[in-house]
Amino acid sequence: MVMSEMETGLDRARAIYQDRTRRARELKAEGKQVIGYFDIYPVLEMLTALDLVPYRILGDMNEPITKADACLPTVVCPFIRSVMDLGLKGRYDFLDGVVMAHGCEVAEKTAHIWRTYLNPAYAHFIDTPHTTHTAALEQHKELLKDFKKTLEAFAGKELTLEKLRQAIEVHNEQRLLVRELYDLRKPDPPLISGTETLQVLVALASLPVTEGNELLRQVIRQAHERRDGPRIQPARLLLWGSIIDNTAIIDLIESLGANVVMDDTSLGSRAYFPLVEQTGDPLDGLANRYLVALKSPRTFRETVLTKTKRKDYLADLENRFSYLKDYAQEWKVNGVILEVLRYCDIHGYEVPGLKDYLDHIDLPSIYLEHDYSQAALAQLRTRVQAFLEVIG
Amino acid sequence: MAEGEKKRPINRLKTMYPLRALVDGMYERAVEAGQEGKPVAWCMVNWWGGDAILRAMEVAAVYPEDYGAVCAAFGAAPAYLAQADSDGFPSHMCGYARNCLGYAARMKELGAIPPEAPMGGMPKPTLLLSSGYFCDTRYKWFQALGRYLDAPVWVLEMPHPGVKESRLEGVREHNIKFLVAELREFIAFLEWLLDRKMDWDKLAEIIDDTIEMNRVWYEVNELRKARPCPMHSRDFWSSMPASLYMAADPKVTTGLYRQMYEEVKSMVANHRGAIGEEKYRLAFAELPPWHSLKFFDQLAERGWNFVIESWAYHPPKPIDLSQVSDPLERVANLTYQYFSGYFEDAYNTGDWWGYFAHPYLELVQEYQCDGIVLHPLLTCRTATNHLMVVQDQLMSKLKVPSLVIEGDIVDLNLFDPAEALRKAETFEETMSHYRQVRKEAGMAW
Repeated sequence: MVMSEMETGLDRARAIYQDRTRRARELKAEGKQVIGYFDIYPVLEMLTALDLVPYRILGDMNEPITKADACLPTVVCPFIRSVMDLGLKGRYDFLDGVVMAHGCEVAEKTAHIWRTYLNPAYAHFIDTPHTTHTAALEQHKELLKDFKKTLEAFAGKELTLEKLRQAIEVHNEQRLLVRELYDLRKPDPPLISGTETLQVLVALASLPVTEGNELLRQVIRQAHERRDGPRIQPARLLLWGSIIDNTAIIDLIESLGANVVMDDTSLGSRAYFPLVEQTGDPLDGLANRYLVALKSPRTFRETVLTKTKRKDYLADLENRFSYLKDYAQEWKVNGVILEVLRYCDIHGYEVPGLKDYLDHIDLPSIYLEHDYSQAALAQLRTRVQAFLEVIG
Repeated sequence: MAEGEKKRPINRLKTMYPLRALVDGMYERAVEAGQEGKPVAWCMVNWWGGDAILRAMEVAAVYPEDYGAVCAAFGAAPAYLAQADSDGFPSHMCGYARNCLGYAARMKELGAIPPEAPMGGMPKPTLLLSSGYFCDTRYKWFQALGRYLDAPVWVLEMPHPGVKESRLEGVREHNIKFLVAELREFIAFLEWLLDRKMDWDKLAEIIDDTIEMNRVWYEVNELRKARPCPMHSRDFWSSMPASLYMAADPKVTTGLYRQMYEEVKSMVANHRGAIGEEKYRLAFAELPPWHSLKFFDQLAERGWNFVIESWAYHPPKPIDLSQVSDPLERVANLTYQYFSGYFEDAYNTGDWWGYFAHPYLELVQEYQCDGIVLHPLLTCRTATNHLMVVQDQLMSKLKVPSLVIEGDIVDLNLFDPAEALRKAETFEETMSHYRQVRKEAGMAW
């Protein structure tokens, strides 16, 4: 019996979370081609439209880094080092190719290092611009045309407009289902825990989009029907920061008397909430969604100026972070954890400004930095405890 | 040499001093401009397009990256770093950035240039010009300055063309179009911000001078292939900001680089090297510990001559742009040549191991290096990401060993010169060994 027939709903999500390459290997055995990708900037619809299975490349906090030292120094993102380490150890040897984008500087360099050391049959790098300038959006569309060319050559077939529109539809469906999944955490108590949510998100990143959509429907139905969901806790937290692909940090927080009810991380809401607009040329909608609509610190938002052409600091913070205020209101959040991987520059520079903003809207916050290892998380326990006492 | 005067381990070029003075004078000129009510920009290195536009619009420019090195060299950095740390910026972030954030915090607190600031300090800016090439910090840092400064930020976008995808049909064309469009958007923003119009003739002249400045500077460095090498990395580092940051009128800078060319050429003709006896020729990657440059004197005393550095701080390989009529397109092509010209060999051989790393293979061969010093910066991903790959590839392909010395460009606490010197002593045996290995393999050096 294949994995897809074994479990449903949360059990299935947990099973995939615990052995996330298994389903991809099954698909591969069935003759499907599986394409790995980094971060949230590769345009997945273009893979799906060509019947290629997108598979997100993640790290493993439980696996000591032993091979990546040979090609990545210790002073770069420990998550990326873990990813590279797993690649060198053959964890991703089932992939038929990879597509990477400029999600951040270290990921960009690692894309080239991956290509050098692992020599995938297909590799494409999308040099995603850093601003939302008109010229940057036009450049992004050109880059997607380049991607289309190499992808068609690899797949041996044409990426038709109709197929692309259908793929956009099915990915948008997933994004709306993820919103429904997140809506499950609006009540008090939430109908699904932060840990369970993360397991579902990791599973989604490991499945073809249609299978992911079916899983989401099962999970949403199950969460509404069950009676043994999370209990009310004094703290309802929003988790902001770099990637979290392991439940350990959320387990730690939730074990201390809190429910993690919302997130803004690159495996969570950040990756799913914005939809793709169906445009005459689908590449216009895709270029806009992946450059402008995705809200990540790696994309520079234009400075908000006063009438005298000077920077208005608070208005600028409002422009960059007001969506977090909306999240806090909708999910009834009473505290924010700013979680940043050590050596993550794009998130690190945000911290003082974001703390200023959260102070301004009277939302308590704490900054936690860690090095993507289970051992390091234990040291965070006391700080989280103290924070929960303050907001409790 | 006067009686009793100790011979310096490195023969510094006489023509380096006016270049260094030109760069140092940038701060004084900017402070004066600010006092006169003229616009001032704090700029990231932006590979000449933005610089030329600012100069044509009569905006005085200073470069906080360079100022980070200045503060490190003058011992002013620790207080600024401490200020940034106490304001909540993680201590693993860029030393230049934290130095600047601390400086800006202090300037906000005082409402004026801090009196202890070296070189007269950087004046309050009218705008911040950032750039988006190979370093996330460049735009995140300036965005973060909003805590202390009310200057608007403009990010000048740039592509990363040194990779396989750059060879696809039409990519060069859309990348150049992108660069030009970005420069036009910047000009429109500046015209709106400053309520003045661009002088296009002046801009064209500055761009042509910039192209010539980089050509002459490139030729100076070509002369360093000679044995013994006449120009040490310390002179390179002192002279590079004049080009990299366009610290002054490029016509003036070009004249000074020409004088340097003549001096270096004369040294080559007379077989004069930068150090007494050149026992080992070395490359250096990436930026040096600015606070501890005397460390290189100690190595020079041991016969170590640093003959080449990372391509990233060098001018682009010269190309003929005389047929490109639009000045913005000319400077965009110059920038693009910098971004791609050092990787032609990588393109042709399909060696896709990272545009930042590949040029070392070429440089180490051309400059016949016995070894390379890799300086992983504990606060800089840009200058560090690729160094393990460089180490691996130089050894596997060229049998050239690497010495890894960890440190930082600004933070003195992260560099241990005594330990570094101990490592260097041992490394001499390694270099000698691999010199023999290369000889047996029939290599040229």
